[in-house]
Amino acid sequence: MSVVLGRDLTKVYSLNGRQVAALRGVSLTIAAGEYLAITGPSGSGKSTLLQLLGGLDSPSSGRLELMGRAVEGLSDDELTDLRLRQVGFVFQRFHLMPVLTARENVELPLAEAGVGRRERGQRAAELLAYVGLADRSDHRATQLSGGEMQRVAIARALANRPALILADEPTGELDAATGAQILALFDQLHRDGVTLVVVTHDEHLAARVPRRVHLQDGRIDRDELATAR
Amino acid sequence: MTWALVVRSLVRHPVRTLLVIAGIAVAAALLLDMVMLAGGMERSFSRMLLSRGYQIRLSPKGTLPFDSEAMIPAITPILEDLRDDPDIEQVGPVLATSLHVSVGDSLLTVVGYGVDPAAQGLYELESGTDLAPGDSTGLVVSEPAAAAAGWRLGDTVRLQGRLDPQSARAAVERVVVVRGVVRFLYDARGQRSVGADFRLVQSLGRQPDVDPASMVMVKVRADDRVDAVAERIAAAHRTVEVNSVAALVVQFRSRLVYFQQLSLILATISLVVGVLLVGTILTITVSERIGEFAVLRGIGVRRARIVRLVMAEGAVLTGVGAIGGVVLGLVTARYLDAILTSFPGLPAAISFFVPERTAIARAAIAVFVAGVAASGYPAWLAARAPIAETLRADAE
Repeated sequence: MSVVLGRDLTKVYSLNGRQVAALRGVSLTIAAGEYLAITGPSGSGKSTLLQLLGGLDSPSSGRLELMGRAVEGLSDDELTDLRLRQVGFVFQRFHLMPVLTARENVELPLAEAGVGRRERGQRAAELLAYVGLADRSDHRATQLSGGEMQRVAIARALANRPALILADEPTGELDAATGAQILALFDQLHRDGVTLVVVTHDEHLAARVPRRVHLQDGRIDRDELATAR
Repeated sequence: MTWALVVRSLVRHPVRTLLVIAGIAVAAALLLDMVMLAGGMERSFSRMLLSRGYQIRLSPKGTLPFDSEAMIPAITPILEDLRDDPDIEQVGPVLATSLHVSVGDSLLTVVGYGVDPAAQGLYELESGTDLAPGDSTGLVVSEPAAAAAGWRLGDTVRLQGRLDPQSARAAVERVVVVRGVVRFLYDARGQRSVGADFRLVQSLGRQPDVDPASMVMVKVRADDRVDAVAERIAAAHRTVEVNSVAALVVQFRSRLVYFQQLSLILATISLVVGVLLVGTILTITVSERIGEFAVLRGIGVRRARIVRLVMAEGAVLTGVGAIGGVVLGLVTARYLDAILTSFPGLPAAISFFVPERTAIARAAIAVFVAGVAASGYPAWLAARAPIAETLRADAE
């Protein structure tokens, strides 16, 4: 089953009165359980594509289906609900709520999904243990290191058991050792059957991902499967 | 979760939050004081007039009670006619005149009230005994009069009337005994007053031969008959002014209209200040945290929840500010009331600021509702933040 089905996706921004095409007819299919890296130089459209895939933005033209549902017909509330239940985001700058603890950050999407207090506490504890932060659950986001914040962000992304995890430069703000820990965690997620799409500049990260999609000037110029890892 | 996010977001900038709450509290205090001021005098006036249950006043034609030194002449037949009315329970004539007493080598001038001890609505007993019906030798005195003259209960006093200013000699004198200390309901603060039998004071006052009275207080048996009885008295006695307390309050209100308008304007200004304060600070806060709101939207938080979050912050700010404002408003009202009621000649029973639950609740609710409404615009800003664009800008 396809988690993502994109056909001739374009995205045009208006920049100082000038039309700038960030994506120019991208077609992409991602199957359930795939681990995919989107690479390319700055300005090639990687992050824009990721935002379309996550329902954060809508394409200027083309057809996009997420989990079998056409995005263009969805209302704002429906799209929000889709993001809540079917997509998990991991951002380069973590984007945790600084006033909440690690546990509360993980509980946030669960609370929004209507999960009861007890159940979401239990789920948050499981997820924090999964990312190796069981002992840091009551620390505020601001009291955590970069690597710990990114782990909390991954736990938050996994909270509602989404069909798709989207990560935008997840190691971009981390040192090499911490980045390696996050990559190991992604490998673990992949082994556990999670569908992962990672946007990265990091050749080291891209090299360990089974499928690599390379963008150039808003177009896919390579879509390759790794022959061996 | 929502409240944790709201409270901790506010606590993130404690000084800013405290300053905003203080600002709202000051605005709420001013609003409360103005609400109390707008209706306080009217309420305390009405309360004062009805404190002894007399709902109708008769005064000299064209005047209000105690408004001038004019007298109602030939009061006895009027009183008899009123006492014959089956709807009327009590009739209390009052005569106010200047009386004098010798204190050592000097002469002390007091306000003398003539009352019918069986039907008086002029004072309340504080100590000693009240005048008994028909007691023509008893005297009740106000605390300031007792203090000035050095009177004690049981003292014999020579009351002098119709003083000749040239010779400083009184034309008439009566010997009375101090029976009690009372609080005269319409006296100014510190006013030296005495009360005695109506006929006794008539004999001491000016023109005793015209059978004068300054005012007549009438107690009607049933409250719903007051207007009808007042109309009937007015029709039967065209030489006197007849007013129900309700009518007097209306006249009083018309005299206070500028006062009320001023209060209303100041109250509106304080409300606008509160709205601007909450709106401005929340708009700044939302602008600072627009990236956070975009992330919340990105991970699936609905717009309605974002709106509730921001409006809840406004509600907490204005709620705490309103509570502080009520306390501050009551304290300042007490202080201001003490200043304003010390004006000479104003009845001590009159208050400018009357703290009533409805006024307090009205002011607090007005501030709260205005504050929450003021958070509508920043809430809209937060909820409408374009997710992708905001995250892109945040990443740059």
